[in-house]
Amino acid sequence: MDRLSMTSTSAAHDVSAPILFNGRPAGLWVLRFGRFSLLLDRRAWLASLLLLLATIVLVGLSLGSGTVKIAPFEALAALFNQGETKTIFIVRDLRLTRVLGGGMAGAALGMAGCLLQTLSRNRLANPDTIGIDNAATAFAVASVVAVSTTLAPSAMALTGAITMLSLTFALSGGAGTRGYRFLITGLGLGSICGAATNLMLARAPIDAANTAFPWTVGSLNNRSGVFVNLLAWGVVVMLPLAVIVGKRLNLVRLPDAVAQSLGVRVNRLRFFTIVLAGSLTGLAVAVAGPVGMIGLAAPELGRRLAGPRTVPIVPAALAGACFTMLADLLGRTLFSPTEIPVGIVTALVGGPYLLWFLLRTPRGKQL
Amino acid sequence: MATTFLSRRMLIGVLAALGLLAIVVLLSLGVGSDNTIGFAQVLAVLQGAGDDQSRMTVLDLRVPRTIIGCFVGVALGAAGALLQSAARNPLAEPGLLGVSAGSATAVVISIALGASLDNLQVWIAIVGALLGCSVALGVARMSGLGDDPIRLVLAGAALSSMLAAVSSVILLTDQRTADEVRFWTIGAIAGRNLSSIQPAIPVLLLGLAVALLLARPLAALALGEKVASGLGQRPKLVRTGVMISVALLVGSATAMAGPIGFVGLVVPIAARAIVGPDIRRALIVAVLLGPSFVLLADVLSRIVARPTETPLGVISALIGAPILVLIVRSQRLPAL
Repeated sequence: MDRLSMTSTSAAHDVSAPILFNGRPAGLWVLRFGRFSLLLDRRAWLASLLLLLATIVLVGLSLGSGTVKIAPFEALAALFNQGETKTIFIVRDLRLTRVLGGGMAGAALGMAGCLLQTLSRNRLANPDTIGIDNAATAFAVASVVAVSTTLAPSAMALTGAITMLSLTFALSGGAGTRGYRFLITGLGLGSICGAATNLMLARAPIDAANTAFPWTVGSLNNRSGVFVNLLAWGVVVMLPLAVIVGKRLNLVRLPDAVAQSLGVRVNRLRFFTIVLAGSLTGLAVAVAGPVGMIGLAAPELGRRLAGPRTVPIVPAALAGACFTMLADLLGRTLFSPTEIPVGIVTALVGGPYLLWFLLRTPRGKQL
Repeated sequence: MATTFLSRRMLIGVLAALGLLAIVVLLSLGVGSDNTIGFAQVLAVLQGAGDDQSRMTVLDLRVPRTIIGCFVGVALGAAGALLQSAARNPLAEPGLLGVSAGSATAVVISIALGASLDNLQVWIAIVGALLGCSVALGVARMSGLGDDPIRLVLAGAALSSMLAAVSSVILLTDQRTADEVRFWTIGAIAGRNLSSIQPAIPVLLLGLAVALLLARPLAALALGEKVASGLGQRPKLVRTGVMISVALLVGSATAMAGPIGFVGLVVPIAARAIVGPDIRRALIVAVLLGPSFVLLADVLSRIVARPTETPLGVISALIGAPILVLIVRSQRLPAL
């Protein structure tokens, strides 16, 4: 009982209506169009702008680095067909797919993580652990080593992600309170896929196993342009949806009964959140493979910057894009010409972060 | 005390577990991935007769395998029962919490640094398990006891996936290690010989002894920390003991068979279903049921894809994951 009352007060504090100063809500910008008005959270918007700036800088750096060095500004200009033909060719035809793939995959994972964490009110819920990426890996590895198919590994990965998403939903029988039932069911099914992947890698001839191995760690090398485009369109379409869902989820941070009385259809919202997060994860995994830690760390950074009042979908997406591009940039340049897959960089950098995250003293704050 | 401890339920539970174990041991000796050597030949060999081929199969392959399976089952069953009781969480399992993953990663690192699976140092696996276990129980402490069973599992999943990625780094860069541990990382009790697991056995027995010593304090701790302190227990000391015991058990099991998940989840739950939630009884029944589960999974691993074998870790995941889903779907967990 004590616990319950504590939770509700802290949640109520987080999303309570802002205090009015001079008739205007503090910390908000108000846009008015005649009868309509829009409240914009000032801190969240500043955070988004800051992260957008960082994203642009990183895009420039990523497009510029490689065997042929191009200045970041020049690379950005070449993106818009300005500059020498050679530079434009290098940037647009050779490097853009990879940078776009990394950025979009990171954005998708960041959004998915933010949605899942808000839904389950748990900072540890993240797209790496709900089995979707295990399934995608298993299918992609199968297409390389076991099953003879004309489908590209990316297509198989997407198939695996969709299969797992529907299977988990069917088996868990809906989201469950706070989406937990879904999370744990996904975890269990994911471990079956993990075992299957290991089995295939062990049984396969060593050459095939080596070819398939990058799919088990997450890499952006030689990813097909078709899937990068698919992912990019998916992110563009789902970003506004996620923002809308995030606004509704903010109310689910209150007790269910309160949220319902405010007009939220809680169960439908849970279902929709999970479908959205699952689709984003699936598309990201189809392009990049199982890149870990992004879905955990990006929403955390987004929350830090954007403050507690909003569900930071856009900051999390931008932070995810930044992290992924940065990790890929480091992996390409640190030990060049040897290239380290992006998933390995995120694991090595993310590992200590995760330990710190798990073992630090909690502040008693809830999502 | 003695009369309540040896209740009828307990007696029935122990006898049933022993009976099951006997049947499963027979199956493990008698069932192969092909039909050439059946129960009749096994009986002949055990009486000292039989032809060379069946002698070799039974004495050099199946008997060691069965013995290793028993040890692994005892270790994982006991570790699961301890962890579930100490974390007060039915989902606390060495595999799900990242204890096995910690141990496996430590082994992979040691092999990359030049060790070999044949002369594997048990203490490396134990140090890894200790790391995973301390993180898991550290998280369990913070989450507020009994408050949120999922938090612990999510923490474990995050830890496991991070550790798996670290292993992947090594396997990707080091071909020799990749060749050596390709099968080991799935978890299997086939193809190990008794001499290579010998160093792990004393460690395992030590861990088991600590576990049995901890049963009484843990039963007191189940009443709540304050009550346990009032009864003269020291909760911190008990938790440290659990950590050490689980690390010894899981570390030695991993050294023997590689990381095998879900044994520590399924077995203690079955044990509690038979003899009730008291850890003193559940631990003993879990120790007896563990080998049955491992050996049964191993027998299945020989027959599901005849004539080839499917590694034990895959079978164990195939059995365990649906049970995990069932547990989560049932109403037993608070707040699910």
